[in-house]
Amino acid sequence: MSESPLPPLAEHLTARSTAAAMRVQQEALQAARDHLRSLGFQELLPPLIGPVTDPGGRGAKALDVDFYGHRYKMMTSAILYKQASLRGFPKLFYIAPNVRVEPAETAGTGRHLVEFHQIDVEVAGATRAGAMGVAESLLTHVVDHVWRAVPETLTELGRDRESFAELLAGPFDQVTHHDAVAGLRSVGHDQNPDGEIDWAGEELLSHKAERPFFITGYPKGSRGFYDREDPDNPGQLRNFDLIAHGGFGELVSGSEREADYATIVTRMRESGENPAKYAWYLRAAREGIPGSAGFGMGVERLTRFLTGLDALWQVSAYPKLPGVATP
Amino acid sequence: MSGLTTMAAGFPEEQVRERARTGAAAAFPPADTYGAGVFGADPSTPLDDLDVARLVPPVFMPRRLEKLIDLGREPEHTDVDLTAAVGGFRSTLPLFLSAFGSTRIGSRELGVAASAQAGRLGVPMVIGENMVPVHGFGGSPILARISAYLETVADGVGGVVVQQSTEDADSEVWNLVYSSPAAAPLLESGRLAFELKVGQGAKPGLGGMTVLDAAEAARLADRFSLHDVFGTDARLRCATPGTFTEEIVRQQIRFMRNNFPRARVWVKFHPGRDIGRAAEVAWAAGADAVTVDGAEGGTGWAPTAFLRHVGLPLAECLRRIGPPAGCLLVTGRMWEGSRVVRSLALGASAAGLGRAALVAVAEDPGAGLLRLAECLALEARLLISALGKYAPADLDADDLWWPGTRAADRVADPVRGG
Repeated sequence: MSESPLPPLAEHLTARSTAAAMRVQQEALQAARDHLRSLGFQELLPPLIGPVTDPGGRGAKALDVDFYGHRYKMMTSAILYKQASLRGFPKLFYIAPNVRVEPAETAGTGRHLVEFHQIDVEVAGATRAGAMGVAESLLTHVVDHVWRAVPETLTELGRDRESFAELLAGPFDQVTHHDAVAGLRSVGHDQNPDGEIDWAGEELLSHKAERPFFITGYPKGSRGFYDREDPDNPGQLRNFDLIAHGGFGELVSGSEREADYATIVTRMRESGENPAKYAWYLRAAREGIPGSAGFGMGVERLTRFLTGLDALWQVSAYPKLPGVATP
Repeated sequence: MSGLTTMAAGFPEEQVRERARTGAAAAFPPADTYGAGVFGADPSTPLDDLDVARLVPPVFMPRRLEKLIDLGREPEHTDVDLTAAVGGFRSTLPLFLSAFGSTRIGSRELGVAASAQAGRLGVPMVIGENMVPVHGFGGSPILARISAYLETVADGVGGVVVQQSTEDADSEVWNLVYSSPAAAPLLESGRLAFELKVGQGAKPGLGGMTVLDAAEAARLADRFSLHDVFGTDARLRCATPGTFTEEIVRQQIRFMRNNFPRARVWVKFHPGRDIGRAAEVAWAAGADAVTVDGAEGGTGWAPTAFLRHVGLPLAECLRRIGPPAGCLLVTGRMWEGSRVVRSLALGASAAGLGRAALVAVAEDPGAGLLRLAECLALEARLLISALGKYAPADLDADDLWWPGTRAADRVADPVRGG
């Protein structure tokens, strides 16, 4: 375990910047709920543990829980439950707590916390474009609301309304993963074309932009088995990330989802998963889960973007950094 | 037993009677020998094509002249540089320590002793699958073996490779290792790799097998499929081999590269008939090494039918792969210099010591593997210099001859199996 770069918790909880960040976060959550409900979404409270969870990527591990002798996992995301809920709740969202034991090397990125929250949205029958539209309108609404509700707090934190003008004017730009990789390689950044945009690459792109933008069509092998493969472009996924401008990086990951049972099983193998442990989810898929699209917007990342604070731990009341043992 | 005797000469009457007495248990070697030793192909199985090949030094040696000019004196066998690039690591010898399974013999003191000696040698070490589901991560030999290796290995050489089976994936072995402080020195020095195990030589097409006593069987019942084949309390533990297609192999490799960007990626195949295509797919997807596990034995358990009759011989695998498009590693009955040098001549970059390493550390836990490698390295230097060459990478198919065949006919045209 590394030594903690964080202040003692009592000090952090009484810091002026923590109070300001929590005021902004509270307004952001209120605005998100209002906006999604105005679009006809139903809020559900998410599960915390289950026999399986989102297998995730980039080396993040799920925490094990002993559940009456069964090996359960803390939710790294509730994606599987979102899909399973669609028949009863075709437009749903959670404000979901998640736990991901990220590699210790991510402690210094300023963008990773072990405990974090997502505004987790899913829409039955939606396409990627539909989900991107919801994400864009949600972010725009939240930014507009916090600048109306707590402008003095944002100003005190050093934020300038001007730096959100391009965002509020919309629409957001889009770039394919392929073009984003080519752009990075053209400026000498050695980006792996078969994988995620790495942290350094994402930061480069984020600094160059004037407003948030979407990256679409990540390659298979970079994301979970539930992101749908593009039938017109095999090897590419019908997914997207929303990247904030100003160096704040990824706020949202989303996709159209696989709903076909045989495709899901095959994709599980392609990502090295053992289908047997997903028994309950595969049974639901065999019985038929609707096609859908959705996304997760990181609450702490959103708050950091709004407040302009340096590191993600500053916008969490009870931060836990990867590899650092804190209360 | 009735008094019937068969009159047909050559009819395996005793084997039939054994099956009649013991049923399914007769499909395996005697269960009471399990875990105490290593096993392998039946001695009655003919030598493979690699053993039949002879190393054939030429009379005229232009490479020796090059070396002579370079040194300004006549080259000797000690001038052979055995340093090798092995799966993204630098190795002092064209060797690596192969995986031992989760059995008693492979996973306890001998495994730790072998790790310390592999570290001292400066050769990469592979840690086998199914350790964590069997022992848990904290209690698994993985951490003990990594720390024994790190204590002895010099800077800049060697590396540690960790396998993960389907059952291991449930325990997230790679994630555990990648975020473990014990492995941090390996990650920081670029000496950690993960190996995707697609198959194994002892039983191509099947997963790992071990024999468990009643208590162990009860403990592992929720993680593995267990079978009553011995007619006793002992149970046969079967891990699944996993399902692979071209796309599954390709994407799993990409997933590994994406999720563990600071680790190297190794892929191990059983000697499958489509090994040429399999190796091609793995290298194209970015594998740093492809290991072909020759149809031989191991430390686990295998049905005798597999040891005798299943899988391509190693030489045929190398022929089907042809000139390798990446780092090619081989294992299977490697213990002395000539089989290793013949493998290198057929395109391999290094050979893995498995059972031989275990036997060597059993002979002397302090230095058995060091001495085995010392002897092998001397043989390799003598053989390679006799061919008028001074680096393993200079070896090629012209250095080999098979009775009755031109070497070119054996190796020049890679055959794509299917």
